[in-house]
Order: sequence, then structure tokens, then C-alpha cells
Amino acid sequence: MKFKSKIWLTAALACSLLLAGCGTDTASTPRDTGSSVTANGSATENAVMAVDEPVSQEVFAMDTYMTVTAYGEHAQEAVDDAVAEIERLDALLSIGEADSEISKLNATGAATLSEDTSVMIDKALELYDSTGGAFDITVLPLMEAWGFTTEEYQVPSDDILAEILTHVGADQLDWDADSRTITLGNSQKIDLGGIAKGFTSGRIMEIFQKDGVTSGMVSLGGNVHLLGSKTDGSKWRVGIQDPDNTEDILGILEVEDCAVITSGGYERYFEQDGVTYHHIVDPKTGKPADSGVTSATIVSKDGTLADGLSTSLFIMGVDEAAAYWKQHAEEFDAVLATEDGTVHVTEGIADSFTCDADVTVITKD
Amino acid sequence: MKLKKQDVLLLAVFLAVAVVLGVGLLLTRSNGAIVVVRAGGEQIAEFPLRKDTTYTIEGIGGTNELVIENGTARLKDASCPDQLCVHQGTIQYAGESIICLPNQVTVTIEGETEDNGVDIIAT
Repeated sequence: MKFKSKIWLTAALACSLLLAGCGTDTASTPRDTGSSVTANGSATENAVMAVDEPVSQEVFAMDTYMTVTAYGEHAQEAVDDAVAEIERLDALLSIGEADSEISKLNATGAATLSEDTSVMIDKALELYDSTGGAFDITVLPLMEAWGFTTEEYQVPSDDILAEILTHVGADQLDWDADSRTITLGNSQKIDLGGIAKGFTSGRIMEIFQKDGVTSGMVSLGGNVHLLGSKTDGSKWRVGIQDPDNTEDILGILEVEDCAVITSGGYERYFEQDGVTYHHIVDPKTGKPADSGVTSATIVSKDGTLADGLSTSLFIMGVDEAAAYWKQHAEEFDAVLATEDGTVHVTEGIADSFTCDADVTVITKD
Repeated sequence: MKLKKQDVLLLAVFLAVAVVLGVGLLLTRSNGAIVVVRAGGEQIAEFPLRKDTTYTIEGIGGTNELVIENGTARLKDASCPDQLCVHQGTIQYAGESIICLPNQVTVTIEGETEDNGVDIIAT
């Protein structure tokens, strides 16, 4: 009889262990509802889960795919406000819509701008100066010549590029910040696409905070911006796309409260006669940048800056980018992937970045 | 000490129940991911990843043919001009998605078959 009760005990224990083990698992993954098993999760666990459950919305705007995610009790309100703001800014800035503020400016050559657009113009001109012209909102005619705006790709002749280049340069813009009036130079057209998504993601972080959200993330066509940390207090794990293999990631950044914005030739390109032409055009040559950098990722609290600099540092190449970072180390950090397979990371985020490739740390001295 | 026949039977039943439960839970756990289909930002359908099926997605201004096969999902056909979604191939890990911009269609795998433990990817 004694033995018998032992067997009972063992069998009962085996069953309860299995159930208990699974109960814990399902508590952290509410979607896998193993019906009878979830009954094991306590009421408090379920309540915590309900609060942790994010509100997420997909948006198709600014010619790309976006996701907006917020956590906490004000998440729904915050996401709705964010989506409305994305649509408002898209209508303001789109170069694909004839009645947007930017399209009207490009058609007439002069305009008085709204406050949001003015803030972006100011920032764009600041970046033009600090990057030595690597960031330039007047490259739109070049982009059109290559067909990147319409996807009707072609390789323009050197003569055509030389002619267009005489009209490229943000220094030819006549901008009066006080009256918010701008006059374009002869044959000039501008596009704020190089900073619009970073500006928008920064605005969304402000909206999240105003609505009482402390944890959230957005991806505006791959431009990531994070508010706070994850709901469990840990940092967000941001994968950086491998520029050589779209199926893979280059490495993982563990960060909080910042924008992570990557530019790479893999984002948009075409091939002709065996040559690949990507969409990041160097304003100095009029041709796709060929600096040896295959992707540039910027980490910064300032989304607009991160967006503009990701393109700029891609164009600059590692040496010039490193020199630029040393002068602006307080404002941002960077991860640069290069053709030789080496990954360069600035020292501010060196400890937050994990990567299988060879990593070289860029230090201030 | 000798076990009675009923005791052996009972023990066998218990062990069988334990094994079936364990195996069943393990299986559903590894294949618990679901395929969520959205058009214009709204969810229009969802399917378990483990069950082979096909579905015609009515996107915004066009259709995409979803195929779920052997624990992977892909778009076999699409009305869109660029066919980028078709060329994207198959997805199988939680967090992975196929996006068709022209039709505003996304196919996302959600669940706990986490691939590399990242929350989001900067591209």
C-alpha cells in the first residue's frame, strides 16, 4: 500500500509539473491560449498582461510603410493622434501631391511657409552647412534625372548631370526665417524627404508624451524612434539591417529614448548593363555615392538630425564621417558598415552594440 | 509487495496522459505563431502558421494571393505592378512581414517563435 501511494504521488507530480511549467510560459505569451492551461495563470498576471498589451497601427504614408506602437492605458489615444499627425505632415510635404506646400513651392519658385515646414528648412540648412553640402534638399532635379522619383530608372549622361549640378546647392536658396519666405534659385526644386520621416517620428514622441504614454516605438519605413524603455524596464533591442543580405541583420543595438535611422544603397536601386545604381546621390558628383560605406546608422535623441545625418555620413565615407562625429559627439552616435566587411562604431554606443563582424571603435582622440 | 492489475493500469493511464499533454503542449508551443493579414492598416484575416492554406487578399485597389505551406507564408501572386511582395519570398519567424505598398497589404507573423530577439529593425 505504501508503494502504491508513492506511485500516485509521482504521477500526480509529473502532471502538475507539466501544467505548472506551461502555465508560466503562457502567462508571458498570451496569444498561445492553451485553453485549460491559462486557468493556471493568476488573476494578477492577467491584469498585468492587459496593461502591457501594446496598441499598434499600420500606416501607409510618405510613400512607405509605417508602424506606430504605444503601451499603457493611454496607448489608443496616443496612436490615433500620431496617425493623424503623420497624415497631416504627409499632406504638407509630399512631392507626389500637386497641392502640397512643397509641390506648390516647387511649381511657383517662391512661397511663405507654414511653421512646421519652416522648422525643417532651418534644420536642413543647418545640416547643409555643417556637413559641407553632403546633406542638400536641392538634389531633387538629380533624383528626377535618375528616375528615382518615378521608378522609371535611367542613367543620365555626364552632360545632363553637369547642367543640373549648376542648379544644385542649398546656398542658392533665399530663405528668410523671420517672415518664413523662401525663394528658390533658377531651376531649383526642393524635397524634404531626407529629414521628413525623422522630423515626423520626433513629433510622434512628443505626442506620445503629451498623451501620457511613457513607452512606445515607431518605424516609419524602417526609421526607428523609441520612447522610453520597454515596459519591463529593459532597453529596446533594435536590429540593424545587414546591407549585404536583406534577410539578415548586421547587429543589435540596445538603446532607449532615441531615434535609430539607417541609410543604405539597398533601400532603392536599379541595375543597368551589370552596374547597380542606388538612390543616395552625392550632391557634388550628381551620381550615386561611392564612399565605401554600405550603410550608415545614426543614433540620436533628435530624429530630424538622425535622418539627415544617415544620408550625409553614407556619402562622406568612414574617414570624413569619423571626423564629423568627433566635432558633434554630443549630438549623435553612428554605426557604419563598409564594403570590406568592417563595421565602425562610435565609442558612445560601442558597449550597446553587438555584432558578429569585425568591429572598429571610433574614439574621440 | 505486489502491484495489483488496476494499479498498473492506473499508472499507465497517468503516464500516457502526462506524455500526451507534454507532447501536445510542446507542439502547439513551437507552432503557435499566427499569420495576420492587414489591408490599409486594418486587420482582415488571420491564420495559424502551422496549417497549410491559401487565401485571396482583397487589398486597396488590388489582390494578393497568400500561401501558407509547411510553416512558412508567402505571396504567390499579386496584381501590383512591381511584384516586390512576390519576390520577397517566404517568411516564418515572429516579427517577419511581407509588405505590398501598392495594395497597402501586409502579412505579418505574430506569436512566440522569436527569431533573434529583436523588438524592431532599422532599415
